[in-house]
Amino acid sequence: MSLVASTSPLLQTITSVDPKIRNRSLESLCAGLSAEQLIDQANELDQFRRTADNLYERVRALFFLASIYRYQLPTCLTDHALGSIPFDGYDHLLNRRFHESIDSFLSVQQRDGISDALSSALARAYHELGFQTLADQVRHSVRTVRGNQWMFRLGHAGEHPLRIHPVLRKPDQATGRFPILRETTAVRMDVSHSAWSDIFFLGMDYPEGARVLNVSVDLGVRGRDQQVKPPIETYLRVIDQPIVRLVSVDLEAVTEISTVAEMFDFGRDYLGLLKAAVIAAGVVPPGLEGCGSGIAELLETVVGRGKGLELVSKINDIPKGSRLAVSTNLLGSLISNLMRATGQIQSLTGRLDESDRRLVAARAILGEWIGGSGGGWQDSGGVWPGIKLICGQPAGPDDPEYGISRGRLMPDHHVMDADEITPQTRAKLQASLVLVHGGMAQNVGPILEMVTEHYLLRGEVQTEARTEAMSIYDDVVKALRDGDIKRLGRLTTRNFEGPLQTIIPWATNRFTDRLIDASRNQYGDQFWGFWMLGGMAGGGMGFIFDPDVKSEAQCWLGEKLVEIKREMETSLPFAMDPVVYDFEINNDGSVAKLLTGTELRMPLKYRALLLPEWLRKPIRELSPQIRLDMSAIADDSEQPSGQADAATLLRRLLPTSESKTREPSASDLHGVLRANGFDVTEHEQIRADLRSGRVGLAANRLPRDIRIVDVESRHVFDARDGFGLAAEQLGQDAIAGGRVGVVTLAAGVGSRWTQGAGVCKALHPFHKFAGRHRSFLEIHLAKNRRVAHQYETPIPHVVTTSWMTDEAIAAALHRTGRYGHDGPIYRSNGRSVGLRLIPMVRDLQFMWEEMPEQTLDEQQQKMRASGRAAIADWARSAGEANDYVDNLPAQCVHPVGHWYEFPNMLRNGTLASMIDAQPTLQTLMLHNIDTLGANIDPGYLGHHLASGAALSFEVIPRRLEDRGGGLALVAGRPRLVEGLAMPNERIEFGLKFYNSMTTWIEIDDVLRAFGLCRDDLRDSVKVDEAVRTMANRLPTYITLKEVKKRWGHAQEDVFPVAQFEKLWGDMTILEDIESRFIVAPMRRGQQLKEPAQLDGWHRDGGSAYVDALCQWND
Amino acid sequence: MRVCKAVITAASPNQNTLPLQRLVDGHGDEKTALQLIIEETLSAGIEEIAVVIRPGDEANYRHAAGSAISGVTFIAQDQPLGYADALLRAEPFVGDDAFLHLVGDHLYLSSINKTCASQLVEMACRHECPVSAVQSTREHRLPYFGIVGGTSVPQHDGLYEVRRVVEKPTPTYAEQQLITPGLRSGHYLGYFGMHVLTRTVLDALHEVVADESLERPSLSDAAAKLPARGRYLAHQLHGRRYNIGVQYGTLIAQLAIGLSGRDREMLLAELVELLASREPDRGLISNEDELIPGAML
Repeated sequence: MSLVASTSPLLQTITSVDPKIRNRSLESLCAGLSAEQLIDQANELDQFRRTADNLYERVRALFFLASIYRYQLPTCLTDHALGSIPFDGYDHLLNRRFHESIDSFLSVQQRDGISDALSSALARAYHELGFQTLADQVRHSVRTVRGNQWMFRLGHAGEHPLRIHPVLRKPDQATGRFPILRETTAVRMDVSHSAWSDIFFLGMDYPEGARVLNVSVDLGVRGRDQQVKPPIETYLRVIDQPIVRLVSVDLEAVTEISTVAEMFDFGRDYLGLLKAAVIAAGVVPPGLEGCGSGIAELLETVVGRGKGLELVSKINDIPKGSRLAVSTNLLGSLISNLMRATGQIQSLTGRLDESDRRLVAARAILGEWIGGSGGGWQDSGGVWPGIKLICGQPAGPDDPEYGISRGRLMPDHHVMDADEITPQTRAKLQASLVLVHGGMAQNVGPILEMVTEHYLLRGEVQTEARTEAMSIYDDVVKALRDGDIKRLGRLTTRNFEGPLQTIIPWATNRFTDRLIDASRNQYGDQFWGFWMLGGMAGGGMGFIFDPDVKSEAQCWLGEKLVEIKREMETSLPFAMDPVVYDFEINNDGSVAKLLTGTELRMPLKYRALLLPEWLRKPIRELSPQIRLDMSAIADDSEQPSGQADAATLLRRLLPTSESKTREPSASDLHGVLRANGFDVTEHEQIRADLRSGRVGLAANRLPRDIRIVDVESRHVFDARDGFGLAAEQLGQDAIAGGRVGVVTLAAGVGSRWTQGAGVCKALHPFHKFAGRHRSFLEIHLAKNRRVAHQYETPIPHVVTTSWMTDEAIAAALHRTGRYGHDGPIYRSNGRSVGLRLIPMVRDLQFMWEEMPEQTLDEQQQKMRASGRAAIADWARSAGEANDYVDNLPAQCVHPVGHWYEFPNMLRNGTLASMIDAQPTLQTLMLHNIDTLGANIDPGYLGHHLASGAALSFEVIPRRLEDRGGGLALVAGRPRLVEGLAMPNERIEFGLKFYNSMTTWIEIDDVLRAFGLCRDDLRDSVKVDEAVRTMANRLPTYITLKEVKKRWGHAQEDVFPVAQFEKLWGDMTILEDIESRFIVAPMRRGQQLKEPAQLDGWHRDGGSAYVDALCQWND
Repeated sequence: MRVCKAVITAASPNQNTLPLQRLVDGHGDEKTALQLIIEETLSAGIEEIAVVIRPGDEANYRHAAGSAISGVTFIAQDQPLGYADALLRAEPFVGDDAFLHLVGDHLYLSSINKTCASQLVEMACRHECPVSAVQSTREHRLPYFGIVGGTSVPQHDGLYEVRRVVEKPTPTYAEQQLITPGLRSGHYLGYFGMHVLTRTVLDALHEVVADESLERPSLSDAAAKLPARGRYLAHQLHGRRYNIGVQYGTLIAQLAIGLSGRDREMLLAELVELLASREPDRGLISNEDELIPGAML
């Protein structure tokens, strides 16, 4: 290997032990290389990664390869070679056969040469293989930690080697009921952050850099809880039925498990975390998955014949997304409880010792993997007491990781004593820090992937930032040792505003920035600093104030959080209203107590949850223990101290008046539907068609016998070669003559962008330009402004809205002073909404089985399958094709497809108003909200005008991620084919061009096709008739969209629901409208559909490209 | 070191009748389990035997000991204070001498010409230190045995230097602390129910009995102290132990003894018959061919 390494600087970088060489960035190594040289380097790397036995060298080579194909090579490809992506390779990729996928792509590269399309495919395949290799290694390490291995060997329930502690098996003498083992556990907060260095992959490659300072805390929600206490409580007891009963009192979920298979079915209810704990604790070891046994057989061995276990979790209603690792510490608490009960932890009660805590942490990692989630290695910190340093450790000869990775999976914990951090300092920290939950509960997964990738590539700026973050860590520890909280605040702020945002700009958001600014403005020098908790800001956060003002600031912040949230809730995905916490440092970690005698009772919420269910059954059907539980509740209620509990229980049993349970009602929804042009007849027709199978996902597709092939060069104009001077001039004249306007489609809520959170995508401030977060809408207006100022002509800008977005956009335009835009802006409000339907199981099956999707990692795939079974059950029980009304009205209605946006401009008078205000108006450029590169370019406009087309669609060369149809020759005629209509997958891969949706519209020509002229636009009857006639000529598609239903404390469920749409691209099927197609460069037509794209878009120059098109006007 | 005395413990409250059960030995003779254990003991050259029993059991035990009664002393454990205490009841009997110890609920079957007890005593005499017989035990049997962890003694097959002893460990603990190199994964060295013990062990037994934190201390608790006090070995014998105190334990022990003795063929035939006539669903014996004990096919 060293011989090979000596020939290539990239390989030298990967294999060198010298940090100076090892930490060289990929950019510096690739600078100045031609495409041929890059491909040579890539070939060497590919050979290397096939033979390298060192895991991290292999992974780094894979990420180098991914980066070369994603970022380096495309910029060197000077010709416009239009390669296609082999479908077989794509198929391998979707099915996680990454090696085969790469081989397939490389063989095409060998044969046809490299192309932008192929490069994107190779980048994705190497990227996925890199992460898969890392995940495999973590999984392997988790399994091979000593103390975990036996659980994977056990194959038969009857051979279970654990026994429940005899104390728990013996009924309490005083009450006759089995005693309860209660474990209380703290949560953790991360003081130093250290640039996400607790990601397993980082700790295992760079243990020296993996260091955090982590504090265990007790919590109370300010204004709600009377006392601050360990937020996590778990309860375990033996029961007199051979089942495992799992109860989450916070989620109000109960399940009784009677087979081993059910324990591994994580998606069927909300108790996946409790199941993962039971498995990771070894009570139902992972080796038993698929054994087909009943749980009674296992319980007979472990607990005794006819006996079972009951496990209850309670997190004191701490909202999800607190960034305090509540779920990992809950998992730790459950595992600790179960391990005490089965003798795997020596002490049944009291605190844990260090070896026990390490064991619990290792099992919690295992549990997270089993449950398909994942956190960092510091997350189980709440199991430890007080303030501790958690540091990565190099792998030694006795560790399973030795020779595979530089670091161990498990870090070391050093609990800092009173000499290191004095009690006074601890008190000062409590007196200064205000902990809050901002209300956002976002998925940090993409952020953690971005961090890992940046680390492996050693981007120069990012590496420098990481070095700075490490030095800040040292200073943070010193500041705490010195008792200097003010300095601590400066350091955590510097960390957040400096290295963290340098590595991941999306660690912050507009909401957080505004809060920090507001705190600075309000308290000046007495605001000591900001502190980001966890993976990203917006959820759990810390604000450090001078103790003199802390109490006041805590109240002020509580109000300010809500105020800013109210302003931004239509543009950012909030899951709940913000809360402020009271907190104290917890000095015990996880502690257990055996409840017997008068203390023997489950928490009140447990009793409130189970009692109604018990009462519904005849007494003879209840087990003796439940009868004893019920009589204990009766006894308690007779005590003076039990009166309040009794009242709560009674309230639970009796109906509550509607005013107290204000849920969105059907009447709200019907009001919305009535006011927004809901067409009942059409809706019922669609429902009937859906049920009968006349429409549906399968029926969206074009017949298989229609010939669909790729277009030829004569069918398109390739704008990447530039436009002639004449076209440019024509375009410039048209702009200067006030003949062009812009239509931005902003009626949608960006289902993919926020995974169905229902916020207005147009207003989402997703990226910082010129020092401030900007929304999609603001960016589009800034592009308009730049061109308008250049030609000194106003360009009218239409923003199409729908019931879901209109009010929010109007408010945002008003609040921001139209983002400082001086040109005319029109809001074109949609005139129709649809009501979503419960999906047909047939369509769900079609989507899951017939439509292409990425197979997930082994454990996540199991979660997906289990979740899908639950969704199909939901659809059946809720009634297929029934109205979807069990959510907020905004989540139940849907816009009816972007085809309607232009007709809406005719119906609502927007176009008429525009023409009145600017009679010269002749052409419109219509574009999607997320096509950030689209602007009024004179070349495109001039070409469109010169061509005489009614509609000119901009298409872009397809990359791997551009899925969903494209430009095709259908029965000899070029047209756009929606992805929904493609008869099969393979055809799409034969199409080189993808529809960017940007369309140049010749107003008069299109009006003519509608059977209208400009003078008809004020005749609403004629316009309505024209639109209806046109609509009938176009296909209707059924789609399944994800919507979130929020409940409890920031909990969210995602449901796929059915809706119908008509799509703009189908205008190309009309033979009486002349449609032309212009090939635009990728940058101009690229669409941002998911936040996970942001990093690549920013790094490959996409954001700089957009920035250059804009004129900011702050 | 010479081992002339043996101590058999049979005072456990739920298991005091186990040695009284009757079995058929390898020669086809009916004997009690106690007789078989005494025979095993005598085969190792033991001259004096003490059996620790519950008060009131002596008459039954004398009867069960049969012809071997001459060298046997019975010692009563007045209170059921556990295994360690039971062994200490025999302290006046053994004095400072090394002694062989067997538990009363195990039977042994050697796979070579030398009995298990002989193999163990020979090893103890050669190394002049306490030695416990052990057997490779799969992890699902951990809840039933004391488990030792150690390293193998070079040049001595099946001999281990004991580093740690834990009574009925969890697999989690065993995997972390009790792995012995050379065994298959998931296998540990489990006590065989047969030991050669010395004065050091008795001292350790006194300590654990005096330790109030231990509830009913066992031999394992005392043995755990031995590695720190001198050499303590574990020997994997050529043979197997059969615990007659567990469900079907006596049946399996009887089958093992029978199949290694004179009546092997007959037993095999009966077993085949049993298997062949078993109804597939309900596991009942078919009425057509009534089983006739001792009948040959």
